[in-house]
Amino acid sequence: MPERWSDYLTIFMSALAVGYMFYEIDRRQRKLREIFDVLDAEDAAVTARLEDMVASGELQPYTRATLA
Amino acid sequence: MPRGSGSSRRPRVEAGARRETARSHSAEASAGQEPVVMQEAVVIEPSGRPGTAASAEREASLSTPRFRIFIVDTGWDSPGHKVLQENFRLIRELQREDPIYVLGREKSIEYLRHHEERIGHDPIIAVHDLAAMGDTGTTDFHGFRLRLGLLRTHQQALLALQNFARFLRMHRQSVDLEGEIRRGLRREGFAGAIEIILGHEAREIGG
Repeated sequence: MPERWSDYLTIFMSALAVGYMFYEIDRRQRKLREIFDVLDAEDAAVTARLEDMVASGELQPYTRATLA
Repeated sequence: MPRGSGSSRRPRVEAGARRETARSHSAEASAGQEPVVMQEAVVIEPSGRPGTAASAEREASLSTPRFRIFIVDTGWDSPGHKVLQENFRLIRELQREDPIYVLGREKSIEYLRHHEERIGHDPIIAVHDLAAMGDTGTTDFHGFRLRLGLLRTHQQALLALQNFARFLRMHRQSVDLEGEIRRGLRREGFAGAIEIILGHEAREIGG
C-alpha cells in the first residue's frame, strides 16, 4: 500500500501514460483502417458499377505514362 | 476477426503440363475458294520435367492479372493528388501485370456524386481482387481501397502510396489477401500495435 501521496501520484501518472499509449495505438489503427479500406458486401454495388464500366468498354486500361 | 477464406483464392492456372501452341493451315485453300483459315490449336503434352512445368506455371501465374486497379480523382489540390500525379508513372511500371483504369475528372465527379460520403477522400485507388471475386463474387471480401485524400501531408501520402505499391507486388500470389491487408497494411492486432509503436511508417501514416 503506497505510503506517501507522491506514490499515489506516480501510480496515477503511470496509469495515465499507459492509457494514453493504448488510446494512441487505437487511434492510429483506426486511421489506418480508414486509409486502407477493405471492400466487402457493403461495397458490392460500387464494385459492380465499376466492373460494368469495364465490361461495357466505358473504361479502358490506361496506357499513358502520366495522369492528365 | 478476419474472415476465413475457406478456399484457395489463387488465380486459376491449369496444372501440370507443358503447352505448345501450333498453327495449322488449311491445305486445300486455293484461288477461287474460301481464303486460308488460320487455326490455332493448343497441344497439351505430358511433361517429363516437373520442375520445368512448375516454373512455367509460376511464370504464367505471375504475369496473369490478379487485380483490377481503379483510380478515382476529382482533382482536389491536396497532397494525395500531387503525390499520385508525381508518382503515377512509377506505380504503373511496378504494376505492369495488372490493368489500371483511370476514371478521369468527369467520371470521378459523377462517381462521388453517387457516393457523397467519399467526397474529399479522393484520390481513391480501388483494387479489385479478381481471385476473390471469382470465388465468392462481391458478397464477401473482394478487394480494398487506398484513400489518399485522408492524408494531410505529402510525406504521409507518399509513404502510403509506397506501402500500397509494395504490398501489391509482394502479395500477388497470396491466398489470404484479406488477412495480409489486416496485418501488413492496417496493422491490426497485438503485433500491429507493436509495429505502430516501434515502426516508422505505420506511425507516420496513422499520425
